[in-house]
Amino acid sequence: MMMLFDMIVYDLSAEYEAALIITLLCIIISFWAVMREREDLHRLILTELVEIMCLVIIALVATDLAEALILPGLVVGIAEFLALSELYIEKEGLRKAPENVLHIEVMDSAPGIIAVIFVIYGIILSGFTGGAVAGLGLLFYFMCRGSSEKREIIETVSGYAWACWVVAFIVFMAVPQYWFFGVIIAGAGIFAKVVAKMSLIGTMNGDGGEGDV
Amino acid sequence: MYNLPSPQIEGEILAYIPFGDIVYYFSPYTLVLFIFALTFTALAILSRPEKQVDIAFGGDAYYTKEIPEKQMRFQRFMAISCGLATMAGVTTGDIFNFTLLTAMVGICNIGIVASVKNKHVLDNAYEYGILAMIGTLPLFGAAAIILATTGTLSLWEIFTPAVSVPVIAKALLVIGVIGEGMAPVYVAKAEITRAPGAPYVLMIHVSSLLMFLRVVEIIISM
Repeated sequence: MMMLFDMIVYDLSAEYEAALIITLLCIIISFWAVMREREDLHRLILTELVEIMCLVIIALVATDLAEALILPGLVVGIAEFLALSELYIEKEGLRKAPENVLHIEVMDSAPGIIAVIFVIYGIILSGFTGGAVAGLGLLFYFMCRGSSEKREIIETVSGYAWACWVVAFIVFMAVPQYWFFGVIIAGAGIFAKVVAKMSLIGTMNGDGGEGDV
Repeated sequence: MYNLPSPQIEGEILAYIPFGDIVYYFSPYTLVLFIFALTFTALAILSRPEKQVDIAFGGDAYYTKEIPEKQMRFQRFMAISCGLATMAGVTTGDIFNFTLLTAMVGICNIGIVASVKNKHVLDNAYEYGILAMIGTLPLFGAAAIILATTGTLSLWEIFTPAVSVPVIAKALLVIGVIGEGMAPVYVAKAEITRAPGAPYVLMIHVSSLLMFLRVVEIIISM
């Protein structure tokens, strides 16, 4: 085997040859698996095994260039995998219309209280973390209660956040001695901005419409 | 500065376009392939989809099938992308770039075939997709082995007589391109040449053919 390989592939280190032979064995195993499998979905998953073997061959080169080549190889593999899974869903008619599957009693009563607690705690934390916490509360609220006419408020809040940033920026530039005032304004701005962004996620549960915040 | 080492195969070089270390080039051979791909891309952009005619038995009536706007747009987009990938693939001067573009042609072909909403056609598209995915292994494998043995991916270097490429890499490259370019077989199997959206299906045949012709040139030159 080694002799045969020496004739085909030459000028190579012994390690590379050995690794290549092992990889070829793995490739044969994975091809064998794809060939034997009859179930469509399992075949799709097994092709991913073949893709990994492909990356292994590239990785065997073991230089910086190989590192740069693995990424496009991976992207191609994932792109084909995604396309094929979409195709499989379409082929088997597995696509369902989205519906609100999660609907339990707690989601009617709890959101108000929980959202208030989160927002107050978020205000105490302030800044980016506080924005995230308060936004989580609002996200939960909008997910449970729906979001038909509340989007304008979010947009308004987001607009005020921009205004806060601009004011803080002007303070920093024009009157640097009041930097603490600027920091407070910017912190409030980022708080409002993160809240607005995160609660926007809560409005995405399928009732259409897109707010530009 | 750039000269093809073996002009007796595809003629003298006409022009080259360097993109960093990937130098695209036109020789009489690749120029013909390029013009061919360009023509069919233009056809895909300009032409309207053909409407299949169904005849109602027992009478003189016949009617044409409606092609959904959405399907037509998607097929056209895929056909145009496929044409662009083919145009780049036949002129590229880098072996890994060539394999990437071949894989892209494969993905676009899956898209063209799969946009027809018909169980039989989708089954065939799926089979072809599996084959194309497996085909990327010999394709990239060949490029990687060429890189390991010769130390370069540039066709300008690989074509010189001083650099010899192992037979196994050549064989893998051909097998990989065959795997990616197998789409016309499945097109014929699913009989979608006559299915709705016919002109875009042409692009599958053209791109596969051009990729085969280009890989022949690469194999002979190196």
